[in-house]
Parts: sequence; C-alpha cells; structure tokens
Amino acid sequence: MTADAARRRALWQILLLLAGLLVLAAISAASVILVNQARDDSRWVVHTVEVQNQISNLLLEIRRAESATRAYLLSTGPQFLSEYETSAAAILPAVDRLVRLANDNPAQVANTVKLRAAVEQRLAEFARGIDRIKNNDVQSSIDILRRGGANQAVQDIASITRAMRAEEGRLFVERTRTADQSQQWASWVTVAGSGLVVLLATLSIFLVRRSSNARDEAEARLRDSNIDLEAAVEERTADLREANDELQRFSYIVSHDLRSPLVNIMGFTSELEELRGDIFRRIATLANEEPIVPDVNGELPEPALPEQDKQLSADFTEALGFIKSSIGKMDRLISAILNLTREGRREFKPVKIDTRELIEGIASTVAHQAAETETQIRIEPLPDIESDRLAMEQIFGNLIDNALKYLKPGVPGDILVKGRTKMGFAIFEIIDNGRGIDPRDHQRIFDLFRRAGTQDKPGQGIGLAHVRALVRRMGGTMSVSSELGNGSNFTVTLPARWTGHNRDKQT
Amino acid sequence: MSKPVTIIMIEDDEGHARLIERNIRRSGVNNEIIPFTNGTDAVNYLFGKDSTGLDHKGEALLILLDLNLPDMTGIDILKRVKENEFLKCAPVVVLTTTDDAQEIKRCYELGCNVYITKPVNYESFANAIRQLGLFFSVIQVPQAST
Repeated sequence: MTADAARRRALWQILLLLAGLLVLAAISAASVILVNQARDDSRWVVHTVEVQNQISNLLLEIRRAESATRAYLLSTGPQFLSEYETSAAAILPAVDRLVRLANDNPAQVANTVKLRAAVEQRLAEFARGIDRIKNNDVQSSIDILRRGGANQAVQDIASITRAMRAEEGRLFVERTRTADQSQQWASWVTVAGSGLVVLLATLSIFLVRRSSNARDEAEARLRDSNIDLEAAVEERTADLREANDELQRFSYIVSHDLRSPLVNIMGFTSELEELRGDIFRRIATLANEEPIVPDVNGELPEPALPEQDKQLSADFTEALGFIKSSIGKMDRLISAILNLTREGRREFKPVKIDTRELIEGIASTVAHQAAETETQIRIEPLPDIESDRLAMEQIFGNLIDNALKYLKPGVPGDILVKGRTKMGFAIFEIIDNGRGIDPRDHQRIFDLFRRAGTQDKPGQGIGLAHVRALVRRMGGTMSVSSELGNGSNFTVTLPARWTGHNRDKQT
Repeated sequence: MSKPVTIIMIEDDEGHARLIERNIRRSGVNNEIIPFTNGTDAVNYLFGKDSTGLDHKGEALLILLDLNLPDMTGIDILKRVKENEFLKCAPVVVLTTTDDAQEIKRCYELGCNVYITKPVNYESFANAIRQLGLFFSVIQVPQAST
C-alpha cells in the first residue's frame, strides 16, 4: 500500500461525507419547501370549502328572509318581522364576506358581482313585500309571492350560486389533487434522500472498513517487521557475542601457546648461560700457565681470563642478558593479555556499593606509598552505586595507583576523589597535582601496551586500557583532561544502577 | 622387589621434554623415561592394541602429562587412565603451561595427583622439575593392579 493510495482514499472519504452532507441539506430544504407548499395547498382546499360554506350560508340567510317574509305575510306576527329584519341584515354582510373570500378568482369575482346585484334585487323585493303587508296590501303581496317562483332574481341567485358552487367544486378537486401531488412529492423526496443517505453511509462504512482493514494489515506488517528487526538484532548480537568469544578464545590460546616456546627459549638460554660458564672456565684453565691450587677453604679460585677472552665473555653475557630481559618482558605482556582475557570472561554481578567505603579501602592499601611521597588522599562525599564490586575496585585502584605513581618530583602529592549524580549516572573524578599528560597522548594512554611521558616507572601500559574496558563493560564512559606539568583529572561516568545489560549483553 | 618405576612423559614440545628430562636426571632420578610427543602414540602405548591396558598389568608407571597436545587434550588421556582398571593407580602429574583455575579444578576432579604449572622463569622451572624429581625418588608407586 502506497501513501498515495492512502491519501486518495482519505480524499474519497471526505468527498463522501461532503456528498452526504449536501444530500441531507438538499433533503431538508426540499422537505421544508414541500411542506410549505402542502400547507398552502391545504389552505387553498380549506379556502374552497369555506367559499362553498359561505355560499350555503348566504343561501340559507336568503331562505330564512324569504320564509320570514312569507310567515309575516300569513300571520303578520311581529316576531316574523323581526326575524326577517335580522336575516335581511345578515344577507349583505354574507355577500360581502363571499366577495372577500372569492376575490382570488376572477371568474368568481364576476359571479359575485352578478350575485350581489341579484341579491340586492331580491332584498328589494322582500322589502317591497313587507311594505305592502304593513300597508295591508296583502293581496298584491300574495300575487307577488305567487310570481315569486318565476322571479328573475330568484333564478339568477340559483344559477349564479350553482355556477359558483360548480366552480368551487372544480377548484376543490383541482386543489386536492395538487395537495396530494405535493405530499407525494414530499414523500418521494424523503424516500429518495433517505435512500441516498443510506447509500452514502454504506459506501462510507465500506471505505472505513477497507481502510481499517488496511490499517490492521499495516499494523500486522509493522509487528512482523518489528519481530524481524528484533530477530535480526538478536542475531547480530549473537554473532557479535560469538565473535567476541572467539576473539577471547583466540587471544587466550595465542598467549597460551606463545608461552610454550618461551619456556624453551628461556630454558635453553639458561642452559647456554651455564655452558658459557663452563666454556670460559675451561678457556681460563687452559690459558693459565700456573696450575690452580685450592685456597685456604679448599675451594678452587675462579681462574683469571686473558684480556681478549674477557671481552668475549662480556659480549656473551651481554647478549644473554638482552635475550633474558626480552623474554621476561614478553612473558609479562603475555601474562597481561591472559589476565585481560580472563577478566573479559569473568561474570559481573551488580551489587549495592558504598562508594566512599570502597575508595577509603583502596586509600588504606596505598597508605604506605602515600606516606612515602607525602601524598594526601582526600575523599569527598560520593554517590553510592549499584555495580560490580571487583570491577569498581580495579577501576579506582588503578586510577589512584596511577595518581600516586606519576607525581611531580619534589612536590607533595594531593589526590582528590569527588563525585556527583546526574540523570541516572554517577560521575566520579580523580584529580591529582602530578606531572600531567600531554594532550597529544590523551587517547594513547588508553591503548593497550601504550604509555606516555617519561618512562621512569615500571609498568606494561595495561592499567588504563583495562580500566576503560571495565568502565565500558559496565555501561559507562571515561575521559581525561590534563596538561603536562599541571596534574590530571580522570572522569569516570557509570550508570548509577547498572543491571548488567546496559551496553554489553555478553555477561 | 617390584619392577622399577617407569616414567611415561607425554609432552608435545621436544624442547620442554628435553629440559624436563635433564632436570629430572639432575635430581638423581635414573628411572627409565619413555617420551611421547603426541597423544595418539601415548594412548596406544598405555592401553595397548586391545585398548584395555592389559599390557601394563603388574608394572609400576608414573605419568607426566601435558594438557596441550596437538592431537587430543591431556584431559582426555587423564580421564581414560583414571577409568582404566589397570592404570588407575598410576600417579599422574599434570605438567602444563595452563594456570586456569577451571582447568586445574577439572584435572583434580578427574583424579590427577599433582598439577604443576610450567614457569617461564627457567630458574623456577628447573627448580620445580628438580623438586619433582626428588619427589619421584621418594614416592611409592603401586604396581598396576592384578
């Protein structure tokens, strides 16, 4: 899986979400519009019903006025007169209301104008009838009434209201259909929108699933590669450890096998030395004219050699001396290597160490040398540490030994040991006022068999190499700062709590 | 009286062998010394053709053994000698350059009687061998069991 594909998928998801949002917004907007429309449609339907209702009301009022007029004509009862009056008074407002209601439709407006004229005419007829009754002209009123069925106004009213009703009926049907349609639209839009949202959601879920699958896969691969990496590291570490062990074995065997011939060289050199004694004694005896006589103790005196033979003897002795001293040196070097390899194979055990006590112990073992050179060893409070005791003893023992060994001639020594902790490390400093080390030699002094400065003290050049190897094995570092003639400052930084696995896992 | 003790010297370095022999002789030991320069020859001699050690039944042997041999380690020879019913009583002196504590411990565990490290310093070396010779001249060696 490439990063490109991942980016594309992320883009897709964002687009899908956006699309979903848009669809939802569209559905909402459409719903609002459609609902509004449906309400309008319903209002129109209701309006139609109201108009019809109003027509019925108007007709009812006209009928009431008509029947009241007739009743008054028959009985002249004053209650019928008052009934007529209320009805007649309600008719015109009813017409007005109808006009107001129907003013949206031009056809109905025309109808209402005609209706108003017819109604007014009819009202005038009623009024005339009532007047006649009041004037006791009952006969003519009855005549008028008889003609009433064929009355133009009555017919007009009936036909106009019929037309109006028909018109409203048509409108009712039409408006109901429109309302139905917009409701249908609303439901369609809702269904379609919901479907779209569901579709988008499904698509999103699918994409999310796919990307989470991809993520799981990537995680699994990462885990695998981590395991691979760990295995690789483990393998390398094992290889390194093996190489290191091999090197240890190699140096052990080499130094060991070097010793064997050395025994021979030394042995036969010694034999030669003995032979030399015999040979030169023989020569001396042969060269001496006087016989050798035993002295008072009965021992034979060493015969004197002639002058030229003396030179030979001296050369012989010198050569043998060089051979023997070289063998001695070689033996010491081999022993040192053996000790180092043995040290390298030793297992370190971290324990709690009271550092001050440890260094006081070292100081007391060198007290005699210190007294001889008038050296004072000052120990400041030191941080305690968890580390290998023997290694710590060797590190500080070597450093204090060196400080004592390389003092400035004629100056009383002053050795200061101080320490502090910093971020889980204990930092120790061994400061002396000795002869110091040339900065050019600062690296060299840590190399095996290398020394610096005036070679007036015995030593193999092993101490500091060993110290640095120990410090490294315990997960620490060490450094020196010094100038020729101005003392040295060795700094040892060790983990305050060494678990045995900080840097070197071979133990 | 039993047969005189035979000293079997297993030492791959001929120089060492010579120095050892010389110093033993200087201490006044005149017993027969049979030198071997490799493990195989020594094993063939000690255990015979049938590998039982029956050849040396009734003989008194003293074995001087170096651990670093070209064809096998001295420890193997020591082990076989101490496991053999005819040879197990023969004193074994391990004389070697190794001064590894583990090695020394292992040799004594396997039944070596004396372990001596060859000093490089010839004086010490000669001294050690001479003292060993003196030791040889006084110790009693049992005959291989019958």
